[in-house]
Amino acid sequence: MSAGIIALTAYTLVWPVLVAIVMIVIGRAFVQEWKEARDEGIDLV
Amino acid sequence: MNDSSAVQFGAVTVVLLLVLFYGGTYAISRGIRKKNENADEYMTAGNKIGFGISAASMTATWIWASSMYASAASGYEYGISGPIHYGLWGALMILFIYPFGKRIRSVAPKAHSIAEVMHARHGRSSQLMLAGSNVVGSVISLMSNFIAGGVLISMLSPFNFIQGVLAVAAGVLLYTLWSGFRASVLTDFIQVMAMLGAVAIIVPFIFFAAGFPAAFETGSANLTPAQGNFFSSEAFLGQGAPYIAAVLAYAIGNQTIAQRLFAVREDLIKPTFITATVGYGAMVIGVGMIGVLALYLGFEPTNGDVNNIIPEMAASYLPGILLALFFVMIIGALSSTADSDLAALSSIMMADIYGQNVAGKEKANPKTMLFIGRLTMVLASAVAVAFASLQLNILDLLVFVGALWGALVFPVLASFYWGKVTNKAFTTAVIAALVIFIPVRFELIPLVGPVGILVDILSAVGIAVILGLMSFGFFGLRVAKIVAAAAFLLSAPFVIGFLHDYATLSASLVAYAVSTLVCYFMSFRQKDDFDFSLIRKRTGDFDEAEDEETAVAEASVAPRGAAGRTAVAIDDAPQSRGGSATGPKKEDN
Repeated sequence: MSAGIIALTAYTLVWPVLVAIVMIVIGRAFVQEWKEARDEGIDLV
Repeated sequence: MNDSSAVQFGAVTVVLLLVLFYGGTYAISRGIRKKNENADEYMTAGNKIGFGISAASMTATWIWASSMYASAASGYEYGISGPIHYGLWGALMILFIYPFGKRIRSVAPKAHSIAEVMHARHGRSSQLMLAGSNVVGSVISLMSNFIAGGVLISMLSPFNFIQGVLAVAAGVLLYTLWSGFRASVLTDFIQVMAMLGAVAIIVPFIFFAAGFPAAFETGSANLTPAQGNFFSSEAFLGQGAPYIAAVLAYAIGNQTIAQRLFAVREDLIKPTFITATVGYGAMVIGVGMIGVLALYLGFEPTNGDVNNIIPEMAASYLPGILLALFFVMIIGALSSTADSDLAALSSIMMADIYGQNVAGKEKANPKTMLFIGRLTMVLASAVAVAFASLQLNILDLLVFVGALWGALVFPVLASFYWGKVTNKAFTTAVIAALVIFIPVRFELIPLVGPVGILVDILSAVGIAVILGLMSFGFFGLRVAKIVAAAAFLLSAPFVIGFLHDYATLSASLVAYAVSTLVCYFMSFRQKDDFDFSLIRKRTGDFDEAEDEETAVAEASVAPRGAAGRTAVAIDDAPQSRGGSATGPKKEDN
């Protein structure tokens, strides 16, 4: 594969990877907030 | 669209998917339902939402069905830089508002809308101008999402467009009606997880199923030189530049962003909005790349309609189970934005119309407010369904409204920092900008000769204003002045004599320029300087009695570790009571 094809492939697939990272960041924060709200007996929202 | 060859799911499958999606979100909203909802929480969830929920909600709200369709269309039309010129600037709308959001929250920590703060800062006319533009934007957005739902359901099932619109409208109303904004933000979390998860799986799957990366080589002949150029000026002028002009306008004109600015815990505004920027950008650009792949494949959408690219690429390359995931992704995208629009509309009617202008802040009845909020949701849904059946061109409407919002940007933002801005300056600036915007946008006067040159000069001023305001949010006034001056000097030689051929972009830039110039020159000689501490006293909770009960109840059940948080809630309560400061006041501050 030429450098151009590799660059285009990376350019296409980097976005789903970024999406997965954001998913993990938001998901972990949500779980922590949910546990805190449960432990403290207060509403999540 | 509804011919049998295009049907991908049976009626039972689609009904099951819709029941699963809307039934699930309804079950979640039932879990947080209170018999007696608090009016303020119905609008902003008590101003203390955490990072996870608020980042998810901001991301989900800003991603709507049109984001994906338009990003893919941009990739298909402009080539490899197309999705960037759609998704990046849309993402920056979230990023560039957060520095201003921090300032807005510091002067009005418990407000419900920016229009409400304008009432406290200036008076009724400024407030109603902003609230009116918020309502128009949210109704158009709501209508657009219902249309997207109707089109998707009619394309992938035996049901027709109207049946699809009604199913989506009923589903969204079902889970949002009782708890309002609280239901919207909590269900946003589930919806964004479904959407992000779907993109993370579907885009790579289509990529490999369609024969990439080899197809990059075999299909390169399908691209023009401009489409194959990452730095294509055609893509920048056709897609990117009009969007850059709208970056601040959309953020100011959209109550769904403002609601989240007021709802998230104040110290979490920055991480929330940065995360949402990355989440939105990655998802929308990622889906937009499907349009680029379609271009390389020489894919021809049905009837040449670029809105068919995404569903038809999905139907061509995804197996049944992933096509169902794709269906849920689009339904999630449009539902999360539609529920936010309903919550935004209800909060404007509750706080801005009833709370500030009909009953007055002191006399507003929280139970009446809740009734008005729920009634607004039902009526807005009915109006949006009625207009959705007309199938208007939504993106044209939104580009028009976005440009109109440009007239509001400088007067609104300046009102939060500069004490000399008056109600008269605000109102006159916005009206003057609109009076000039309309004939330029619709070319009611020929943009030739001296008129064309004048429009170009104002456009260069508009560019300076936009880049200056963007810089001001992050770096302060000194840097903003340098950036604005440099932007004017650098853009003028290219803009003058050329840009008036692009009426849409010129009109938007002229709106920025005129409103800024009028607002500045009507304000800078003012001797009075507004006391910004008054805003905190004039805005705040409408439903204080219940807030205090809730805070006391939480304090009584919370273990010691939570004492700090509940104590803050109790300590804050007296500050939000305005006493005489919330009473009638002279309008022109």
